[in-house]
Amino acid sequence: MTNKQRYQRTFSVLHASEDCLMEVKAMKHTKKINISRLAAVCAAAVMVMALACAAYAADVGGIQRSVQLWINGDQTDAVLDIRGIGYTVTYQGEDGESHEFGGGGVVINDDGSERPLTESEIMEHLDLPEVDYRADGSVWVRYHGEETEITDRFDADGICYVQVMTDNGALYLTVKYDGGHASSPHSYVSPKSFNTGA
Amino acid sequence: MRASVDEVFQKYGDRIFSAAFSVCRNRADADDVVQDTLIRYYSVGAGKDFESEAHLKAWLLRVAINRAKDMASSFWRKQKVEWEEYMDELPFAEPEDSGLFEAVMGLPEKYRTVIHLFYYEEYTVEEIAHILRRPGGTVKSQLNRGRTLLKNILQEGWNDDE
Repeated sequence: MTNKQRYQRTFSVLHASEDCLMEVKAMKHTKKINISRLAAVCAAAVMVMALACAAYAADVGGIQRSVQLWINGDQTDAVLDIRGIGYTVTYQGEDGESHEFGGGGVVINDDGSERPLTESEIMEHLDLPEVDYRADGSVWVRYHGEETEITDRFDADGICYVQVMTDNGALYLTVKYDGGHASSPHSYVSPKSFNTGA
Repeated sequence: MRASVDEVFQKYGDRIFSAAFSVCRNRADADDVVQDTLIRYYSVGAGKDFESEAHLKAWLLRVAINRAKDMASSFWRKQKVEWEEYMDELPFAEPEDSGLFEAVMGLPEKYRTVIHLFYYEEYTVEEIAHILRRPGGTVKSQLNRGRTLLKNILQEGWNDDE
């Protein structure tokens, strides 16, 4: 028996799980959440990416909620204001100034109809990993005080797939270079399904 | 030519898994690579016009190997079953096959991938160089080095033929 025959016989016992195909098929029918970050003007005119800890939230009246966010590695008190399909987060930075950022999004149902995100979905989104484009050109994914660089992990189409371990299990993050990102707990979201008009 | 995701999985799923396993040495990661490769095919491959089955297979293996390398260097990794434990579950046809499997898994990754593409997929040095985007001379050197290491480990269990 030749080396080649022996090698092929040995490694022919390796088989992919059928679940792989099922996951891909499920992805085609997964409810998609389309989030876009709206630029918000703040006192320092700086866009700050912040992560929200959904573990603590208190009702401060109306459609506002008091939450805690991860900012520069520290949990910070902030106010979440939800109006329609958009939301604004306001907090006091280390410089003592008031900072603000906002976002918004809709849920696209299987039948193509859309609805605004619920409060819990927004909170869940604020707790998602964040993609940070830094001044030195590097790109990072951050989650709960930890971060990893993905600068060199974009393919020729400018797409990067990153798997993130969250408190609720694995999260599949699809990043378009400077073109947004989307995530799902089931499988990677197709880059063709979000920010296609960007 | 354009095959469905189902067809690609049925025809190439195990090959993608094996190639990925040769890089990451972990069943969970290799399965994730299969899934990711199928997703890439679904989302990106849809717009590609593959000239032939060989072209499609080479594209799939390149995507899979690159993805497996990304996973191996990922900042966040799941708790995994080591390959030694997984090996105990594999139904090798002959007892000596487990020795070959163990020897290959013990090789440095750069040799494992080349060895796998040469012996399992029967690619030439030039084809392997194209898939891995390495110089042909480098691939040839890595193939020879991998063979030498396997011979040292397996002795009579590894022939001097190609």
